[in-house]
Amino acid sequence: MKAAAKKIVIIGAGPAGLAAALRLRDRGERDIVLLEREREPGGILRQCIHDGFGLTRFGETLSGPEYAARFTERAAGLGLEIVTGATVIGLTTDRVVTAATREGLRVYQAQAVILAMGCRERTRGALSIPGQRPSGIFTAGVAQAYMNLKNTMVGREAVILGSGDIGMIMARRLTLEGAHVKAVFEIQPYPSGLPRNIEQCLNDYGIPLYLNHTVTQINGDSRLSSIVVSKVDEARRPIPGTEREIPCDTLILSVGLIPENELTRMAGAQIDPDTAGAVVDEHYQTSIPGIFSAGNVLHVHDLADFVSLEAEALADSVLEFCSGSLRGCPIEVSGEGCGHVIPQRVSGKADVTVSFRPRRPMRGCIVSAVQDGKRIASKRLPRANPAEMERLSIPASVFLSQSPIKVVLQDD
Amino acid sequence: MTRTFTCILCPNGCEITASAEGGKLTGCEGNRCPRGREYVRQELTCPMRNIATSVTVRGGALPLCPVRLTGPIPKEEIFRAVGAIHAVSLEAPVRRGQTVLQDLLGLGVDVIATRAVSVLDGRDG
Amino acid sequence: MNRRFDLVIIGAGVIGSAIARELSRYRLKIGVLERSPDLLGGTSARNSGVLHAGFNNEPGSKMARFCVEGNRTFDRTAAELDVPYKRTGKLIVGFTADDYDRLLSLKARGEQNGAPGFEMAGRERIRELAPAVEGEFALYSGSTGILSPFQYTLGLAENAAKNGAEFFFSHPVTEIARIKNSWLLTAGGERFEARWVVNAAGLFADRISDMLGIPGYEIYPCRGEYFLLDPRLGPMLPLPAYPVPNYKTGGLGIHLTPTVDGNIMVGPSNEYIDEREDYAVTQKVMDLLIADGSRIFPHLKREFFIRNFSGIRPKLSGKKTGGYHDFVIERRDDLAPRAVNLVGIESPGLTAALPIAHEVIRLIREIEPLEQNPFFDPIRRRTPSFRDKTPEQQAELIRQNPDYGEIICRCETITKAEVLAALHSPLPARTLTGVKYRCRAMMGRCQGGYCQTRLADLLMAETGLSREELLYSREGSWLFTGEVHPQ
Repeated sequence: MKAAAKKIVIIGAGPAGLAAALRLRDRGERDIVLLEREREPGGILRQCIHDGFGLTRFGETLSGPEYAARFTERAAGLGLEIVTGATVIGLTTDRVVTAATREGLRVYQAQAVILAMGCRERTRGALSIPGQRPSGIFTAGVAQAYMNLKNTMVGREAVILGSGDIGMIMARRLTLEGAHVKAVFEIQPYPSGLPRNIEQCLNDYGIPLYLNHTVTQINGDSRLSSIVVSKVDEARRPIPGTEREIPCDTLILSVGLIPENELTRMAGAQIDPDTAGAVVDEHYQTSIPGIFSAGNVLHVHDLADFVSLEAEALADSVLEFCSGSLRGCPIEVSGEGCGHVIPQRVSGKADVTVSFRPRRPMRGCIVSAVQDGKRIASKRLPRANPAEMERLSIPASVFLSQSPIKVVLQDD
Repeated sequence: MTRTFTCILCPNGCEITASAEGGKLTGCEGNRCPRGREYVRQELTCPMRNIATSVTVRGGALPLCPVRLTGPIPKEEIFRAVGAIHAVSLEAPVRRGQTVLQDLLGLGVDVIATRAVSVLDGRDG
Repeated sequence: MNRRFDLVIIGAGVIGSAIARELSRYRLKIGVLERSPDLLGGTSARNSGVLHAGFNNEPGSKMARFCVEGNRTFDRTAAELDVPYKRTGKLIVGFTADDYDRLLSLKARGEQNGAPGFEMAGRERIRELAPAVEGEFALYSGSTGILSPFQYTLGLAENAAKNGAEFFFSHPVTEIARIKNSWLLTAGGERFEARWVVNAAGLFADRISDMLGIPGYEIYPCRGEYFLLDPRLGPMLPLPAYPVPNYKTGGLGIHLTPTVDGNIMVGPSNEYIDEREDYAVTQKVMDLLIADGSRIFPHLKREFFIRNFSGIRPKLSGKKTGGYHDFVIERRDDLAPRAVNLVGIESPGLTAALPIAHEVIRLIREIEPLEQNPFFDPIRRRTPSFRDKTPEQQAELIRQNPDYGEIICRCETITKAEVLAALHSPLPARTLTGVKYRCRAMMGRCQGGYCQTRLADLLMAETGLSREELLYSREGSWLFTGEVHPQ
């Protein structure tokens, strides 16, 4: 197949892809195409009709569609090339991108590729919940798409497994639309979503949240008829004798997001087992030169604002790459006491901000960057929460050598 | 009286410990910005919430249009408000920001569409 | 009004469908009654998908004969019905001296049964055939293969339908009476009249047998649970790998089987249960599958799990006797004239389906001549699968039909054209699971997270079903209560 030359191909027109494209355009780059598999740009924000987006970035609280419109309307005004209904089915190490559209296969030879595919939800199968296989079990995002985009009501009596933000937001949405949400169960000893959502999505509606609980049995040979929940011990094993059966016809799963990196793997880029996203350097470049990654496909974010800000930083690097002036990044970065650290490699020649997530809720803790046994940067956090991403800035001036950096999170 | 609040005004979700006497705020701790104090004061007197839902669209490229309020309403009015909003049906095309209901239940806020919905067979909003 | 047929088959599983397809070679008006709302509601969709060689069964038994025959003729069957399959060969790995002896006797039995291509393999040979499989030595069976149980059942049923057989779904048989010289059946609130009845009811074959007037059979449901693994692991297992079987329990042991679609299945377990349709998975067995599976395939990790499911074997041998009871395929003129009764069709029923159908025909022809159907066409074709094509072929497919350019299921790269084909095939999908089995949408790692809403839209648009009427799989498995906001 003959490939069309394109300077920058962006895969995915959600907040990450759009923000990167607009930033590139603002800096004068015009040879860009965005490939979007949906019929319109905007990504997952299109179905997030609740408000609360944009406070960090725009200083006001917007719904998901409004937040998306901030980008899509500008993109339309600038005449940015967005091919919708285009699913990328091929990506090679030398940056040949193949997309299927109703008009045919589009093949691009790109100078740089930006991966902005977002993430998918963890499913019942991935959790291996025991029991029968009735209908009525939906991931929170699928339930959200049915209700908010398709005008389709998924059930009457619901239980939510997992205290992820989308699950809590769906608890409220279901309640407002006439369903009865009985409870939210979370296997961990702390909630996995934001405190404000516990308050305004659960507490406001009297929906109880049970920590240290999980679903241990699914009943119903046609439609879901009940679930059994059990308390779990410190190792998250169900405690015998604590089983409780709850009649319900709907189970909503909000049990985690997984970056969608099939194309990244196809291109041969190295994947970080902790983030399930690509290993990147401070330029958001993957292990494959010219292939960049940002947003939820890189690591799952807590807020859309940080997705778009990260994508803009990526866009700056892409321009540097295209002009052949990216710094090498020989210094490895890893985490201790935190779930993962982005980026995994830095140059030591420029100021850099690392993002990480705590592994457990902490109060009064210190995060530090350690090189050659010395603390080169640190910051005190009054509170740290696995639901929230934290950041630490390391100025270029403090690097001691090209030895690895450890980002250490510990109690103060 | 001492009570703990989770501020919902921004994603920080500050945990605020407040003391009050006779419904009047006397002490406030844990808020990272002044809005936290205001939030607690409001919670003590009349908790306010913004809500989002959707309304049907006739002849639209999408069956629904998402809507929200231009400002918060008293928490206890939420279900009445949702009921009033659900009685509305829009005709495509819908503009983003279009007023769907004016002065919802006399509460001083409007209901607005949060996305555009084009006419069926036209281009998606 | 009774619906009249020459012959009614009860059950549209792989066996009922094979019988319908083979009988449609003759001038017969055939009706097939199926209790589920769609094909593939039972055992035929829930098994290892292995084309067995025939060394597990007693020499001279129907199981052995029909299995070897089914294997021998499968190249042609697959070509006619467009069934994805692959002769991968198979390894049965052992670790102890005792295992070695049992493998030798398996080999001898296989050869006695007439199956070709056995060899004893040492560690080196195992490495060569399947580098990721652990074992000291193994029996290699060259004629074993893997096939799509979905496409095989669909192929047989669709081809039968194309040649005139009529299928009735959501038609569980509730009553059978013998009136004058014909059978009168009540199913799904309708009455069917037929000269012949064939019982291919699988898990319910004993009950149908009773209704026909042939008492004395009891089906012992025996559940097997599986894990389905991410296709990312697929390349590590090019052929099925089994442990040395334990005949006392009547299963083949926890094994690993690649699927024709690139996944790996781990399982099945072997557990007698009380409820015939309790398709549950249990924590106990999941732990067992991981422990046993890891012995021969150490790459099992949670991050590769896509789904669990279970299948239920309709066994004639109960928990106490264990092992295998031979297939019952009989005509009992004394008790039920003009009826063919099939009971206990379990593994290797998938491999043996066509020879079983030929045996049914033989039993019918013993008392009634059958006239050839001159219009019989043995060929069934699937819609081309987009993902299996080269980019040039893909471009050409899209040029001919733009629906090929619309990817509906991202994980498995299934296009709108393939989904629409599933909804307009000779026996079209009527449930979400029916769509899944036909075209593989929703079978990938996101399990419908991306495509389920799209499939529901297409299903409603093409069938005219409302939100409330849409089913996930079985009767009663409703998906939605209706609209969020009534229009």
